[in-house]
Amino acid sequence: MKLKTALLGAAAAFAMAPAAFAERGADGQLNIIYWQAPSILNPYLSSGTKDVESASMVLEPLAGFNEKGEVIPRLVTEVPTVENGGVSADLTSITWKLTPGLLWSDGTPVTSADAVFTWQYCTHPEGGCAQAARYEGVTSVEAPDDLTIKVNFAAPKPNPYQAFVGATSPLLQAKQFAECLGAKAPECTAANFGPIGTGPFMVTEFKTNDTVQMVANPNYRDPAKPAFASVNFKGGGDAQAAARSVLETGEFDYAWNPQLAPEVLAGMEAAGKGKVFAAFGTLVERIEINMTDPDPALPEGMRSTAAHPHPILSDIRVRQALSMAIDRNLLVEVGYGSSGRATCNLVPAPELYASDNTGCLTQDIEGAKKLLEEAGWMPGADGIREKDGKKLKLLYQSSTNAVRQDFQALVKGWWNEIGIEVELKNVDASVFFGGDPGSPDTFQKFYADVEMYANNFDGTDPEPYLAQYTCEKAPKPESQWQGENINRFCDPAYDALVAELGKTGEMAKRGEIARQLNDMLTKDSFVVIPLVDRGRTSAASNTLGGVVMNAWDSELWNTSDWYRVK
Amino acid sequence: MLDAGRRKLVEVRDLKMYFPIYSGLLRRHTGDVKAVDGVSFDIFEGETLGLVGESGCGKSTVGRALLRLYELTGGSVVIDGDDVAKLSPEALRQKRPTMQMVFQDPQASLNPRMTLAGIIGEPLDEHTSLTAPEKLARIYQLMDQVGLNRNFANRYPHEFSGGQRQRIGIARALALNPKFIVCDEPIAALDVSIQAQVVNLLEELQDRLGLTYLFISHDLSMVRHIADRVAVMYLGQIAELSPRDELYAQPLHPYAIALLSAVPEPDPSREGARQRIILQGDVPSPANPPKGCNFSTRCPQVQAICHRLQPDLIEVAPLRFVACHFVQPQQAQPAGSTGGTEATEPTQQGVNA
Amino acid sequence: MLTFTIRRLLLAIPTLLFISLIIFLLLDMAPGSPMSQIPLTVPLEVRLKMIEALGANDPIFFRYINWLHKFFVIEPLHVFDGLFGTTFAGDSLRELSWQSRSPVADVIAQRIPQTLTVIGMSYLLGILIALPIGIYSAYRQYSWFDQLGTFISMIGFSVPTFFTGVLLIVVFSVKLHWFPSIYDTTLKVTDWASFGKQVKQMTMPVAVLGLYNAAQISRYMRSSMLENLTQDYVRTARAKGLSERVVVLKHVLRNSLIPVVTVIALGIPTIFGGAIITEQVFKVNGLGQLLITAIYANDLPMVQTLTFIFAVLIVLFNLVADILYGILDPRIRYD
Repeated sequence: MKLKTALLGAAAAFAMAPAAFAERGADGQLNIIYWQAPSILNPYLSSGTKDVESASMVLEPLAGFNEKGEVIPRLVTEVPTVENGGVSADLTSITWKLTPGLLWSDGTPVTSADAVFTWQYCTHPEGGCAQAARYEGVTSVEAPDDLTIKVNFAAPKPNPYQAFVGATSPLLQAKQFAECLGAKAPECTAANFGPIGTGPFMVTEFKTNDTVQMVANPNYRDPAKPAFASVNFKGGGDAQAAARSVLETGEFDYAWNPQLAPEVLAGMEAAGKGKVFAAFGTLVERIEINMTDPDPALPEGMRSTAAHPHPILSDIRVRQALSMAIDRNLLVEVGYGSSGRATCNLVPAPELYASDNTGCLTQDIEGAKKLLEEAGWMPGADGIREKDGKKLKLLYQSSTNAVRQDFQALVKGWWNEIGIEVELKNVDASVFFGGDPGSPDTFQKFYADVEMYANNFDGTDPEPYLAQYTCEKAPKPESQWQGENINRFCDPAYDALVAELGKTGEMAKRGEIARQLNDMLTKDSFVVIPLVDRGRTSAASNTLGGVVMNAWDSELWNTSDWYRVK
Repeated sequence: MLDAGRRKLVEVRDLKMYFPIYSGLLRRHTGDVKAVDGVSFDIFEGETLGLVGESGCGKSTVGRALLRLYELTGGSVVIDGDDVAKLSPEALRQKRPTMQMVFQDPQASLNPRMTLAGIIGEPLDEHTSLTAPEKLARIYQLMDQVGLNRNFANRYPHEFSGGQRQRIGIARALALNPKFIVCDEPIAALDVSIQAQVVNLLEELQDRLGLTYLFISHDLSMVRHIADRVAVMYLGQIAELSPRDELYAQPLHPYAIALLSAVPEPDPSREGARQRIILQGDVPSPANPPKGCNFSTRCPQVQAICHRLQPDLIEVAPLRFVACHFVQPQQAQPAGSTGGTEATEPTQQGVNA
Repeated sequence: MLTFTIRRLLLAIPTLLFISLIIFLLLDMAPGSPMSQIPLTVPLEVRLKMIEALGANDPIFFRYINWLHKFFVIEPLHVFDGLFGTTFAGDSLRELSWQSRSPVADVIAQRIPQTLTVIGMSYLLGILIALPIGIYSAYRQYSWFDQLGTFISMIGFSVPTFFTGVLLIVVFSVKLHWFPSIYDTTLKVTDWASFGKQVKQMTMPVAVLGLYNAAQISRYMRSSMLENLTQDYVRTARAKGLSERVVVLKHVLRNSLIPVVTVIALGIPTIFGGAIITEQVFKVNGLGQLLITAIYANDLPMVQTLTFIFAVLIVLFNLVADILYGILDPRIRYD
């Protein structure tokens, strides 16, 4: 009995501490499935999630984000701040110090020249760089010595963690991409398909839209990592098959985004082979209100422009009633299960920027009806409210997607209940988000009264995201219908506050302003009706250890720490 | 002219050929088409037996059943000593060379993807062990016999005219030196100008090779030309079987009388006197033949007995067989005088003492 | 026959040019943009720059001529260079996919083996199963075997492959763990063990598509046999004293195969088209999956090239079917 207990204890000790004894390549093959297959491993030429995340196992930025949204060093000794002198006091430059002795997977040293090159690569006027926004406001990148990288900004940059931070802005090897600048970028197929990186793995074979084969990087900076000797990164199929292969058959260790009905996913989890992980970032499913008149009777070029305010929705009481009639918790239950949370905020995270607004979470049909009556909308003979002989009727559009159509049906039911006639419309996602100025069905053109989609912001700083709602960013014919202020919201006070945010460096103050901006769009004006804070989900096998979901960076951010549970 | 003592090459007894009818959801066997229902006759060696009747009377079925191209429902067919109906498949295959067939449609009955040499030579492959040159020689010999140019050996059936195709069919039938050939309407699909050529060829071959024919046709004039004896079929049964001249001169069975009244006379004076008998009504369905005599529904001389009893085919005069209640051996008179022809003395006919 | 073939090939050139123009115009008029899959977080200026870099904003006429030039001149030169080590193509820009920025032709070449092994094998298997079933079903029409064959082909016809595929996965992968549910395109057959693995992972997709193909072809075979079995020449063959085997296999089968062979030839381009649904269900990333992902991503160069190749194959195999007919059936002459 004693012996048995001792043996069990020993076995438990081994099981508990595999990471401690880890040795590079000891755990065999890691199998990852993304049901959207990676097309290219150069995130500067494609910003698709599948491409950025698969590349993040190979290419690394100077610093990344952890699961809490904090900036963590990857290739540098520490994260530069004003306090440690890494960020200049006037916020116009940031200086990174590379960890000495870092090697690319081909054995050559990583130097500051690689960073300078990467900046040149992405900012080349003919390159069509997909991540150009990461380098916006950067006037130059200097390399005073081999290990020092100084990034200079045109104006004070309160959030300097953009260039070289996060999976969308990794370091490229200057030697490998030297011939691939500008218009030549797409021609470097070999480099784009097999970039040399500093990450835990390196590419051995890449089949576009199919598979990526990787092996452990022999020159990885931590000699004990990664635990896996090779990676089979499979793409293609559908979300259900990917989830099944992890949760039911156990063929794969990790499946990205098993976007399935909550009960289907729960049924698969019951097989006991794996679990679904969720992490919440800033992706919010919302209804956007059109502040301008989309009436088809208006001439083209006048529809949905600031010249014609919306006849019904310009009244805040109507907008508020729309929000009050919605039961967000039911929407979460129907559409997302554990991977969604009801929210009243446009910026639900990080904590510093998230408003404490929870007023919308309780559905209030009676209150909504009362508001509509106050606004002069009285029930008509057929149950539809009327005012001055005009019916309260809305066109509600969204992209074609099973969950969105469920949401549309539910919301339509609630709005009908408060006496609003609702016409539903769904548009194929490639058209809706395609941005073709010639199409009447894009979300920018907004030829509807309300529309629903999801959006988020890159990284942890909401400034550019909140700045989208300034007056001049409204899509209009003069700008080829491009622009991010989808609902044509225009409030000089808001614009002024955005400008102030751009000048504020102190974090607490920034948080306060951001929360205020968020409230101006949501609970103060109901121009945006947030519904669900959508988490990222992934399925991981019970035999895979070390998975930490991260909503702020590539979810494969810590594959160097992953190991096989024995 | 007829030799009663001659050997019977083919003896058919009570031949029955029924085709089952399946119907309903489960395709149950619900009845039969009685295409041939109790037919008996003999064919003497070296003679040509004509088999005539309207379309659908079962004459082609008799021809095919004789060669066991169908599995018989009942009866026996003895050809050259063997009961073809009872032979095992392999024994039947061995027997095939003795009995052959010339088909009605020379286009459809030749495999479109085989050359003339292939078609004629195939039976030789199957039943003989000739070497390639011997086989070719035999093919050429057969082509010569039927009057086909040797240069045509490698052509395909569709490259020939109808008459030539029928010659191919005949050459193929002759390949294995058969004794007995069923000619199933061999001229029906041919131009009139070609018909005589083919019939003459058949007669010539019969003289040369001593063949025995069953000549199935609905062309009564052609049968008169080629046949020694003629059987008249109606609705799956033989109504009358008589030597050719007697039959054409004085048919005994009411149906034979009616049928032959349709034959035009070459002699204009007699043609003028010819009276056509038009039968009333349609041929009954062979799936549901009338009770009693199967001609009873259309017979001009029908009596009560005809609806009750089926007459047997009996020899009413030497070599004259008739299936009618009213044509009996003692009188050997036609069933009625409707035909208007004068009865000849039956005793004068047929018997060559 | 030769002049017929040459005449048909010459006629095919304007036909195909016309087809390519129609495809190009249709794709261009179709809604959607290559930017639709890009996250909304990417700002507008960046999007415009990317579209410009792809050349997606050039005038349509210019893009069409450019595509023709690349498809008919540059890509063949590259293939030639690859085969003989020459450098005729030089530095000329190849037709690049908008998704992966790699040459379209290379990606297609990479996908062909996967598609041919799985889809081709299922076609072959379908034929091998279908012919005997069709022959025997016709020979014993209305027997229990024929009824069973009819029933199974009805299932093969009417039950969609996405249903049978998922059903097989649930039964054999999820419940029984016999076969993998995800096809491993990186598996290289080097020894018996890896060959076994390959057979295992091909089993389900081949079975699903094979059933579908067999259902179709066996029906053709059966009806063609039935038509020929009642022909007079079959009676002639029997009368010749040929054994039943020779009658059926030599006379009836050979004549019945003529239409079936042409149907089979006409079906071959569909192998190259890949079975989009089956490839998706089993994650066999072949040409079908390539086409569908390219369509989703509005990768016009890839879609245009793939659909045009399919058009070429269809025109070509129509000609092959005609020529085969001429060879097999002596009654048909084209000159």
